[in-house]
Amino acid sequence: MGAELTDLDFIRRVRGICGQKNVLTGTADLEFFGSDRTRLATPAPLAVAFPGTTEQVVDLVRLAASAGRSVVPSGGRTGLSGGAMALRGELVIAMDRMNTIKAFDAINQSVVCQAGVVTAQLQAYARDRGLFYPVDFAASGSSQIGGNIATNAGGIRVIRYGMTRQWVSGVKLVTGGGDVLDLNRGLTKNNTGYDLRHLVVGSEGTLGIVVEATMQLTTSPPPSSVVCLALAKLDAVMEVSRAFKASSSLSAFEFFSEAAMKAVVASGETRPFDTIAPFYVLLELDADTESRVDAAFNCFERCVREAWVMDGVISQSGEQAARLWRLREGISEALAPLQPYKNDLSVTPSQVPVFLAEVEEVCRSHYPDFSLVWYGHIGDGNLHLNVLKPEQLTAAAFHERCNEANEKIYQIVQSLGGSVSAEHGVGLLKRGALARTSTPPELAILRHIKSAFDPSGIMNPGKIMPTIPDS
Amino acid sequence: MKVLVAVKRVADANVKVRAKADGTDVDLNNVKMAINPFCEIAVEEAVRLKESGVAEEVVAVSIGDKSCQEQIRTSLALGADRGIQVETDANLQPLAIAKLLKAVIDRESPDLIILGKQSIDSDNNQTGQMLAALAGLAQGTFASEVVLEDGHARVTREVDGGLQTLNLKLPAVVTTDLRLNEPRYASLPNIMKAKKKPMDVLTPEELGVDVASKLTMVKVEPPAERSAGIIVESVEQLVDKLKNEAKVIS
Repeated sequence: MGAELTDLDFIRRVRGICGQKNVLTGTADLEFFGSDRTRLATPAPLAVAFPGTTEQVVDLVRLAASAGRSVVPSGGRTGLSGGAMALRGELVIAMDRMNTIKAFDAINQSVVCQAGVVTAQLQAYARDRGLFYPVDFAASGSSQIGGNIATNAGGIRVIRYGMTRQWVSGVKLVTGGGDVLDLNRGLTKNNTGYDLRHLVVGSEGTLGIVVEATMQLTTSPPPSSVVCLALAKLDAVMEVSRAFKASSSLSAFEFFSEAAMKAVVASGETRPFDTIAPFYVLLELDADTESRVDAAFNCFERCVREAWVMDGVISQSGEQAARLWRLREGISEALAPLQPYKNDLSVTPSQVPVFLAEVEEVCRSHYPDFSLVWYGHIGDGNLHLNVLKPEQLTAAAFHERCNEANEKIYQIVQSLGGSVSAEHGVGLLKRGALARTSTPPELAILRHIKSAFDPSGIMNPGKIMPTIPDS
Repeated sequence: MKVLVAVKRVADANVKVRAKADGTDVDLNNVKMAINPFCEIAVEEAVRLKESGVAEEVVAVSIGDKSCQEQIRTSLALGADRGIQVETDANLQPLAIAKLLKAVIDRESPDLIILGKQSIDSDNNQTGQMLAALAGLAQGTFASEVVLEDGHARVTREVDGGLQTLNLKLPAVVTTDLRLNEPRYASLPNIMKAKKKPMDVLTPEELGVDVASKLTMVKVEPPAERSAGIIVESVEQLVDKLKNEAKVIS
């Protein structure tokens, strides 16, 4: 073992692998490439390497393993759980240079792309070929395919298309042991024991580094319209959801509260109607035939008759649809200056109203000074609960009280059999909560799997599993 | 006062259109259609005139096959009072549209006619001007502000290098520019109400207009693809390329 390699010697060897200009060590670069959107601690990696080939990634991982150094894989760093944070002298391996779409197969409707391909780049590539890459979310202009796979990214069209997992038909992974695994190779059918590909999806860089993937595309969706509705009361959400699911073909069903609407309007968006309601939903539905559009109108009329819905609009153009989408997609950014405490919870969709009511009740009785902002992908039972800091509290005191409140919220999640991280992953932030919904035997199996892929424990240490080896 | 607005059904502005494989036309199969954005602004302006009490009635007109009724319905949902469709399957050029609108004006005698300055599909920017000429009306094109008073329309126009203000005697033709207003969403309650608003269907024959086109479309093809750029290594190399390859400096 070359554990006695000094920092400078190590960096020199890294430069030898990637080339002089493809390794950064400046303070600003280390901070930038060593953190994701959580900014929850000061990043302090040793260096950032930008490999150009799979072979270079292998060499970097082997070097790190032999020198006893940890590796943090880095994609678009848009994560919200600290999965890409490098806090203690790690080598960050950033995939930005490996951003080529290498092959397109029209018969398989698939593309082979390198891990650094940006989500929006893949979406545009598919569109240019009359096809569609359906995984989409607010950060798609920055997030990379490798990171999407590592976090099993979800987003706004999960109710129709599922998460990233559904679209990965092959993964090439450099394991923590420095081996290159070419998993599933684009096959549709492959029943040959454990599907290791699916272990890689959602592994958050703890098993290895995704260097390449075969991604499936699908046919373009029919023309759609976006509907925004004002809901009279919380209970109406599920009724409206059921009614529209029965009458229309939905590709998105999103939800947000008046507090979220206020924040996004303050950030420059315009209200879709004058009616102020406690909650709003945003639906995207196929509008390719007159009968489909009429069905949506009739459903709306019924929702009004039942007093579930107070008001509503429907987009008449792509421009209006994009504007309505900004009401939902702009929330996270609009809230950012208020430094909200974020939760990303899920229960089965039918349990959402019970869950919401119970959480609101807990917060009202124990934390009356907290203001809650609800929004999320309610069609798949995923809610983003944001708690805004009361002005009189310091950030530290606020955080502490949120952790305290979280204990109670997680109890509710646990009692409903839900998840403490629906789509943001575990990263650093949700490690403590994982034991709430995963049993000790499950956690033990996770550790065994980790050590099978990453025997020396160098891959993204401290993420998911609540253990930080001393470095 | 009666205001007449013309609306055109076009491919949605956010859609990337393609040429048909045989080059005969643009491929509109499975493409989202919408009101031409400039026409949408025209409808919004007319509805605002009605809401402010200046206008009593707003009539929305569209010309085309049955599918353009969808855009008339949208206009009704946005606040127009009734619709007129001139039904034809013919491939219409701006002059034919202007003649048909002139015939509709003769029947309706509106005090103000608002059109989009151009449609985003063919980008002709001709119909409003032709209509004003055929009908012998004053015209204010590219309007960014319209104020009605004392039987006149004061129209602020966006022209090269600034703004020009015209005072038009009504009835007059106004065509809209982007900054005139921001159109509202069609509210679902209003869409439901719009279903009960009247819509007349006329034909070019009834209006006595010959719509036969004197133009033939020869070919539709996508623009040439731009070749990939390169990253130069130095200022010297950049200057050299600008001089000797692009020949844009000497």
